Amino acid sequence: MLVATTQAAEETEGAMCMMPASARETTGASDGGQIAIPKSSNVEGGDLPPVRMVVDPYPSFNGVTVDTTNDLVMMSDTNRKSLVVYDRTAGSATSKEAAVPRQQIMGPETGVGFVAGVAMDPEHRELFTVNNDVEDRLVVFDYDARGNVKPKRLLYVPHQSWGIAFAPKRDVIALSVQTPNMFVVFKRDAKKFDAPVRSVRGPKTQMADPHGIYFDETHNEVVVANHGNFRPGELITSYTAYDARESRQERSGGKLDENARGKFLPSSVTIFDGDAKGDVAPLRVIQGPLSQIDWPMGVAVDEENNEIIVANNGDNSILVFNRTANGDVPPKRVIRGALTGVNGPMGVALAKDEIYVANFGDHTALVFPRLATGNVRPRRIIRNAPAGRETSGFGNPYSVAYDTKRQEILVPN
Amino acid sequence: MIQGQLTRLSRTTHGIAYDSTNDEIIAPNPLAAAVVIFRGGAIGEEAPVRTIQGARTGLSRPETVAVDEKNNEIVVGDPGDRRVLVYRRTADGDAAPIRTIQGPKTKLLQIVGVAVDPVRDVLVVSTYSRLPGGVTGLLMFGRTDQGDVAPKRVIAGPKTGITRLRQIALDPETGKIYVAAINNEYLPPYDVDHPRRGLDPDVELPSPWNTGSEGFIGVWDDTADDGDVPPRGLVKGRSTGIVHPAGVTFNARDGEVIAPDAVWNGLFTFLKPELFKRGATEHQ
Repeated sequence: MLVATTQAAEETEGAMCMMPASARETTGASDGGQIAIPKSSNVEGGDLPPVRMVVDPYPSFNGVTVDTTNDLVMMSDTNRKSLVVYDRTAGSATSKEAAVPRQQIMGPETGVGFVAGVAMDPEHRELFTVNNDVEDRLVVFDYDARGNVKPKRLLYVPHQSWGIAFAPKRDVIALSVQTPNMFVVFKRDAKKFDAPVRSVRGPKTQMADPHGIYFDETHNEVVVANHGNFRPGELITSYTAYDARESRQERSGGKLDENARGKFLPSSVTIFDGDAKGDVAPLRVIQGPLSQIDWPMGVAVDEENNEIIVANNGDNSILVFNRTANGDVPPKRVIRGALTGVNGPMGVALAKDEIYVANFGDHTALVFPRLATGNVRPRRIIRNAPAGRETSGFGNPYSVAYDTKRQEILVPN
Repeated sequence: MIQGQLTRLSRTTHGIAYDSTNDEIIAPNPLAAAVVIFRGGAIGEEAPVRTIQGARTGLSRPETVAVDEKNNEIVVGDPGDRRVLVYRRTADGDAAPIRTIQGPKTKLLQIVGVAVDPVRDVLVVSTYSRLPGGVTGLLMFGRTDQGDVAPKRVIAGPKTGITRLRQIALDPETGKIYVAAINNEYLPPYDVDHPRRGLDPDVELPSPWNTGSEGFIGVWDDTADDGDVPPRGLVKGRSTGIVHPAGVTFNARDGEVIAPDAVWNGLFTFLKPELFKRGATEHQ
């Protein structure tokens, strides 16, 4: 985390580099990664430099996916708004230095913003990422893309899409969507305003603020991780600033259902039939205190060994369940503790008997043996910043308050 | 850090307020139609001390909150049903609001900020609209107004420089309103679960972060300003580092204006002590 003063900014000779120079040179990232600070300003017109700023100059990992065909691992970067691709075996158990990515896609032309889920398609050599809370678009790049490049394809998606599940045999992608408590399925090559081929949404689904999603084609199931924040369909509206028809008043003919109410459900993992459509119940639900599920983010399935792996953001752990687990059941393995380095886990992936974890709470991704359990060190650490650099923890900050008692600034994500 | 399911927060929190009198933090949870209140020193996976949620609350999609420490009230802006709801500060559970402002006369639409001046009895709402005749600016109501009432004053128009705005903060000591004019454009391509009707299928929507426009922090007076008037104070320009600020608050003791910027995913603090002097009315 960078807490810079005006003096510190001036010492950078007119420009504060928001990304390590070595990374810019090797990855092709553009000048979009800089804040220019001129030598003079019109202070009376409000053009004054900040006396302090909290800006993290390094990426913060979010989604993670692995391509075992080409031995690559790709992560989304919410902080600097980029995609970062490494060799699959990048990182080390002991190095304190940042790993050098093979490529980074970043800049205003890319359409990469507040990104979350990621996917790779080695057959068509395409990279996918979906913007979560603002841009409402999924962008697709060629495998060789780097720097400030336009996506080869763009697909507009529902607001607050978060996770991507790529199903290569079906040639579709499924997206989880937070606010409407749903997931939608698009053709892989869908573009612009192509509509989903199907969606799963409604009270029977038991989805509530869904995040991670995985399409298990071996068993024809879709696995969805839910935080638990729930509003019924009656309370879910679009952005009325643009179209009055979309407000609840107009939809209901001016009569609001005042009995509709939000509620908090325990965090959960819901498992659906792979062909599910509409308002259908999940096949199984893992939920309850024994499960330890707490703000689950990314989710992955070990289709060969029949396990579900959960990035458990709420308590900094990785949970592993039997694939057929149902109800309030404990995980069969838990990776948790100070030695693990698991810190605000967002993404999780499984490849070649290893579990990949993308941390949001610090500048690392971790690689564990598939059967790791307990308070164990990772096999490799992929750093995107030198060891010890803090993160701001910001994720698209949209409001702020000042705590006068503690002289602290409160920033929700 | 306050996080985890016991907190009843969501990772979609677009408003926050701090109550210095009672040392509490108030935050909306739009995804669960709730408002949660924490003790000021809350940390980790700590449960809120109170939760406002339920059918009687009238909450639909609460986006933004403010606290009136003098009158012991919490104000909530809810664009889901285009209304502003006022609760007793100690409200808990399925509690009904004590006042609601809602209806066509109010001009409320996409409500993104609320603030209260208990000294001058003013309730300020930031709202934006892309509908014909809609208001993008500040609506000034009486603090105790309720029902379908017209705002007493409206600050909006080209001279304000506001094309889209978000959070607002109000300093009751001076009557100054601090406005985060994000000034980007964002056209949601979807109506919940299907592509929005009426959009040209070949249109390429601009990135909300690459619009060529420039956001700013603007300052207005909550009783003296009305209509299409420029801000009395500004934080704007390339030196500031901010591009599209979505939030704003202040530290009056040290004369600081504080704004997060979503483009840089960062937080910027500016020294503007002249704004916090009592009786300061000149353009600054």
